[in-house]
Amino acid sequence: MSVRLSAIPGLSPLCACFGLLALWEMSAQVVGIAGLPPAHEALRALPAILSDPEALINILHSIRRMSVGFVLALTFAVPLGLAMGRSRIVAAFSNPLLMMIYPVPKAALMPIIMLWLGIGDAPKTLVIFLGVSLPIIYHASHGARAVEEKILWSAAAMGMSPRWQLLRIVLPAALPETFVGIRTGLVLALITMVTSEMIARQAGVGNILFNSLDMAQYDAVYATILIIAALGFGLDLAIEWLRSRLLAWAEPVYQIAVGSA
Amino acid sequence: MRRTRASEVLVGALPIVLILGLWHGLATAEMAPPSLLPAPRAVFSRLVEQFASPSYLQHAAITLFRLFAGFAIAVGIGVAAGVTATGSTAFGALLRPVVRVLAPVPKVALYPALILVLGFEHASKIALVAADAVFPILLATYQGTAAVEPKLVWSALAAGASRRNALFNVVLPAALPSVLTGCRIGLVISCIVVFLAEMITSTNGLGHLLIYAARNFETIDMFVPLITISILGLVLNASFNALQRWLLLGFPQETSR
Repeated sequence: MSVRLSAIPGLSPLCACFGLLALWEMSAQVVGIAGLPPAHEALRALPAILSDPEALINILHSIRRMSVGFVLALTFAVPLGLAMGRSRIVAAFSNPLLMMIYPVPKAALMPIIMLWLGIGDAPKTLVIFLGVSLPIIYHASHGARAVEEKILWSAAAMGMSPRWQLLRIVLPAALPETFVGIRTGLVLALITMVTSEMIARQAGVGNILFNSLDMAQYDAVYATILIIAALGFGLDLAIEWLRSRLLAWAEPVYQIAVGSA
Repeated sequence: MRRTRASEVLVGALPIVLILGLWHGLATAEMAPPSLLPAPRAVFSRLVEQFASPSYLQHAAITLFRLFAGFAIAVGIGVAAGVTATGSTAFGALLRPVVRVLAPVPKVALYPALILVLGFEHASKIALVAADAVFPILLATYQGTAAVEPKLVWSALAAGASRRNALFNVVLPAALPSVLTGCRIGLVISCIVVFLAEMITSTNGLGHLLIYAARNFETIDMFVPLITISILGLVLNASFNALQRWLLLGFPQETSR
C-alpha cells in the first residue's frame, strides 16, 4: 500500500523551500554578479551569525520588542474591537479615526516618535503596537457584529447580565474571526519590527541587515534575510497550530492578509 | 448599506476634533517646544504651501509612479497566477506550498537583496511594492475563482468554449468581487510600502522628504509628507471603491466592506 505523499504534514512546504533555494542557486549561477551570491554561500554564513553573541543578542532584543508590542496590542485591540462590533456608538466614535490612521505607514512614524520618546525601546514598541492593533480591531469588530442575535436573546431571557454575555457569548463566537486578525497582526508585528529597525538603524535585525550591506558582506545579508524569513514562517506556523488546537470546532475563516507595516 | 445618521457622523468627528484640539492646546500653551510639536496651523499652512510648489509635486509624482508601476505588476502576476492555479491542478499544487512559505515572510527584509540585484533606482522599489502587493491579490483571485459555481463552467464548456476561454471569460468575471477586494488591499499596501522603501534608501520621493526633514530637525516638514501619504491612501481607497461599485453594477450582492 502506498502512502499518499500529500498526507505527510509539512512535506509540501519543505519541498517548496528546497525548490526556492534551488531556483536561487541556479539564477545566481546564471546571473553571476557579486550582489547575488549562490544559496549555498548564504547558508554557509548562517552559523557564523547565529553563533555570534552580539548578533544573537540583537535578534533576541528585536523579538522581545516585538512580543511586548504584540501583547500590548492584543490586550487593547481585542476588547475595543468586540465593543465596536456590539455597540453602534463605540463604532461610530472610533471608525472615522481608525479610517484616517489606516493608510498611514506606521513605521514611518518612527522619526517623529523618536523625537518625543528618545531612541530606546519605547518608540519601536509603540510603532509595533500601532501596526498590530488595526487588523485585530478590524477583524474582532467584524466577528462580534456577526454573532447570532438569537443566542444573545436566549442568554438575556435566562437572566445573563450584559457583561457576562460579552465574556461568555460574544468573545467565543467572535474568536475565529478575531484569530484571522491576530494572525495578520503577528506577521505585521514582524514586518513593522524589521522596518522600524531599518529606518532607525541602531539595533536589531534590521540594523544587522543594512550594516552587512554597507560592509559588502553579501552572504551575511542573504543569511540574515533567511533568518527573518524563517522567523516569519515559523510564527505563522505556530499561530496556525494554536488555531487548530483552540478553534478545532470552527471552520477555517476565509482570509486575506490585510495591511502592511 | 446601512445609512449613517447625522448624529453618528458627529460622534465620529469627536475624537478627531479632540486630538486636533489637544494638539493645538499643547502647542500654543508652549508645554511642548515647537521643535518637538509644531502648531497644527503651521503644519497645515505648510501643507497647502507645499501642494503649490512644483518641486514637492515632483517628489509626489515620483512616489506615485513607483506605486502604480509596482501595483500594476502585482495585479498582472497575481491575477494571472491565481486564475491559472484554479484552471490547472498541477500548477495549483505547485503554487500553493510556495505561497504558503512566502506569504508570511516580511517582504521588506528582501529589500537589501533587491537593492543589490536591481540597484538603488526605481527598479528595486517597484519590485518591493510588487512583492508586497502580489500576495493578497493572488490569494483573493485564487479563492474567488475556486469558489465559482461549476455549473457556469460546464455550460460554457458544453456551449463549445475552450478551457482557456471558459477560464478567462466566465470564471474570472464571476470572481470579480473577490479579485477587486484583493486589489484594494494590495493598493493600500503599495501605498505604504513605497513610502517605507523611499524612507530606507532614496534620493527622491515623499519618503525621502520625511527622512531629509528628520535629519535637519525640521519638524513641520516631517509632518507634511506623512499627511500627504495618508491623504493619498484615502483618495486611492475611495476612488477604488467608486471603480468597484461601477464594475460590480450587475452583481447580486455588494462584497465591498
